Amino acid sequence: MEKILQFPWQVPFGELSLRLDSLSLIFIVAVFILVLCAGTYAAGYMRQYRGKRPLGLHIFFYLLLSSALVFILLADNVILFLGAWELMTISAYFLIVFQDDDASVRRAGFIYLIASHCGTFLLILMFFLMAHHAGSMDLTLISHAGFSPFLAGIIFLLAIFGFGVKAGFIPIHIWLPHAHPAAPSHVSAVLSGVMIKMGIYGICRVLWTINVLPDWCGYLLLLIGVVSGVMGVLYALGQHELKKLLAYHSIENIGIIAIGLGVGLLGRGHQMPFLAVLGFGGALLHVFNHSIFKGLLFLGAGAVIQKTHTGQMDQMGGLARSMPLVSLLFLVGAMAICGLPLFNGFISEFIIYFGLFQGLFHLPLQGAFACALGIIALALMGSLALACFTKVYGTVFLGEPRHPGIQGGQTPALMLAPMLILGGICLWIGLFPQTMAKMAFSAGAYLSHSQISTLNMGNIFLPLSFIIYGILLFLIVVIFLAGLRWKLLRGLTIPLRETWICAFSQITPKFQYTSSSFARPIVDFFKGILFFKREGGEVKGNFPLKTSMASSVHDAVEEFLIKPMYRRLTVLSKKLDINRIRYTQMYLMYILLYLIFLLAWKLK
Amino acid sequence: MMFIVFSILSHWLIVLALSPLFAGIIAKIKAFFAGKKGPSYFQLYFDLRRLFMKNCVYSRSTTWVFRFAPIVNLAAVLVLSLIIPLGSFKAPVHFSGDILLAAYVLGLARFFMIIAALDTSSSFEGMGASREAFFSCLSEMVLFMNFITLAFLTHSISLSTMIGADIPMSWKMAGTVLLLVVGSLFIVLLTENSRIPVDDPDTHLELTMIHEVMLLDHSGVDLGFMLYASAIKLFIFAGILVPIVYPVQTGIPLLDTLIFLGGMLGLSIVIGVVESTMARLRLNRVRNLLLIAFALAFFGFVVKMWKG
Repeated sequence: MEKILQFPWQVPFGELSLRLDSLSLIFIVAVFILVLCAGTYAAGYMRQYRGKRPLGLHIFFYLLLSSALVFILLADNVILFLGAWELMTISAYFLIVFQDDDASVRRAGFIYLIASHCGTFLLILMFFLMAHHAGSMDLTLISHAGFSPFLAGIIFLLAIFGFGVKAGFIPIHIWLPHAHPAAPSHVSAVLSGVMIKMGIYGICRVLWTINVLPDWCGYLLLLIGVVSGVMGVLYALGQHELKKLLAYHSIENIGIIAIGLGVGLLGRGHQMPFLAVLGFGGALLHVFNHSIFKGLLFLGAGAVIQKTHTGQMDQMGGLARSMPLVSLLFLVGAMAICGLPLFNGFISEFIIYFGLFQGLFHLPLQGAFACALGIIALALMGSLALACFTKVYGTVFLGEPRHPGIQGGQTPALMLAPMLILGGICLWIGLFPQTMAKMAFSAGAYLSHSQISTLNMGNIFLPLSFIIYGILLFLIVVIFLAGLRWKLLRGLTIPLRETWICAFSQITPKFQYTSSSFARPIVDFFKGILFFKREGGEVKGNFPLKTSMASSVHDAVEEFLIKPMYRRLTVLSKKLDINRIRYTQMYLMYILLYLIFLLAWKLK
Repeated sequence: MMFIVFSILSHWLIVLALSPLFAGIIAKIKAFFAGKKGPSYFQLYFDLRRLFMKNCVYSRSTTWVFRFAPIVNLAAVLVLSLIIPLGSFKAPVHFSGDILLAAYVLGLARFFMIIAALDTSSSFEGMGASREAFFSCLSEMVLFMNFITLAFLTHSISLSTMIGADIPMSWKMAGTVLLLVVGSLFIVLLTENSRIPVDDPDTHLELTMIHEVMLLDHSGVDLGFMLYASAIKLFIFAGILVPIVYPVQTGIPLLDTLIFLGGMLGLSIVIGVVESTMARLRLNRVRNLLLIAFALAFFGFVVKMWKG
């Protein structure tokens, strides 16, 4: 399915050429749903800032971001694409720095801006390389040009790094964990739900444009997925701040998507259209699913933070009693992101697993090995995500408040309604995946340049329907057992007591496990690859007095790669500083001379 | 349709009826090694009956999550039991990818177990929950490595095929691989079912407890559900292991079932002996044990790849 719309445009090499195909369709559906839901939520959430902040400006940039997202997805021309890309980057920057009186927010915004532009630089290089080779700025025309393996490889690498900055692949993800907690919650939802997916969309578009890629590209994508996924969830486990944790989880899910794309690419390279459709389709369905449940989680986190005024999980607790609906919806999101049955995350992960197993059976030896690695990584990610979200749900919503100031309260209906819709979509896809799966598979077929009608898609739809029967059976058993329990307990008055805590008489909430202590064994196990810092906590003397302990997990990439590089650059620029001319007039003269040179060159 | 409903119900009947006995046999063997008479083989049936008659007590900190978790747990193992073939009773549910459903339904049960433990706001249960979350990461990885190796061997991702009719043939062709898988799966069985040397199912009140401590605050019907669920889970894991170890198929339904039951009896004796003769591992050694299990399964995979 393709729809193309063309208008003349006054920009050199540009043409207002729009195109809607199965690939952009699935992204556009996600954008529309999430932007609408988060926008409705914002109407309730931003009420607290009324009269204190320029809300009109904020909404202006929100709308600008939404339209930029749609234009990126529709652009069929390189110039139009890059223009919309830049519009998205800038408007997102203004949305992130909404609370600009906070220095850390300004810093986060700045990191985001610099990282994004480094990525855009590579993208400009990549697109011009493509356009130069094909002799056209039109993406459809570029897709008809053949690329040599060398050139295709270069373009693929540029795409991975250029789009990877936006998507958040592991060594180049550094803006993500800064920007997401700094932004207001509905903005985080849009950033994490759909904006980082534009990086994935860009990579997909490049994969579509260049039909034949060297073999190593698929392996590289799979490897990037494995590394991003596992490291993302490990960093998430180490976080104390709710929204920062969710930000790292986005990296994990981008990893899952990259694994799917990698398998798809391997399938396409080995002329196995079914495998390609499974990989690409699973990845694209996960793109959609992730925008729904991650949006839901960020909106839920916003509702919590609005009441508690802190994102520190180690201070929270017991919010399920004062905010029952928010906690239930957060639980839906948490179960969906862990890929547990009943919700949508499981469906897309199942398709990716299925693809990986197909790859294990049918690919040559090195491909089978890569697929085995992918399966293990997915299993590890799944159980680590489970550990991470039981930690979040258990410490934020269950137990007792760990700090006296923590209390929930009524959440306005305007904020609850969008969360209900997103939660409903999670359940809908979890129980009736046919519609969205078909959409994702047709996008996958489009990406793998194969006809879906020639493939036996029953091979995946049959297991999917069995999965649904299994889940329904599970629900029936749950209902039956709940009824049984009700019947057994009927007529008895159920006593309520304090939690037994080794016969201590003075019970305080401080006895509880915190989120940090919960994650400790896992973080400790992986401390070889995480940058884990622990201070204090030693017991001194026979009668130890008050002591304190602090532990934190830092981003190894940031500490060991980005910061030293930045320090070198500062030293270098200091050195270059000596040659700087300190008069503005001189610079003006240089500009004038350069213009004259250009004129003379052109007139020649 | 009627046939499927009938086969599901009969499958459940067998699992529900036999699993407490399986746990009882292990307990008897442990008592024998300790020089005690020990409880009856049917002790768990009596315990369950008593618990189902009793009232529950709840902590004031708990919410609906705590009351819901035992139900989810029992429901999960019951659904899981449907993909396990029991002797001549074929698995009522088998399709390509059923192991994935199984692994994730188990994950669902674990999710609720852990948040129910955190719901009590007790540091004890927090400790258990944290350890369970950690060790299950490793054991799930091991389980999937075994699935990969078995799937690679049989070219199928349906459990009934993976441990089904081709196994006797596979022993001849790739005995080494299966031997490694059996070793690895046995360690997973011990870990997932909180057996010595990983955990001790008999004591809930020690600081070194992992899984068992999460049962601490459950009582009455809820505790009954939990205990029943763990008995069934043990039975299921044994049911996966036995067809691989006893790859004898005669084609006569009654004989096949008897062989399967004999295998289960043998496995329960082995578990009992292992539990009686070993000490519990120090907590930070457990992860090494699981990594060994992973290595075993991984070597199995490599051997299979190498031999082609």
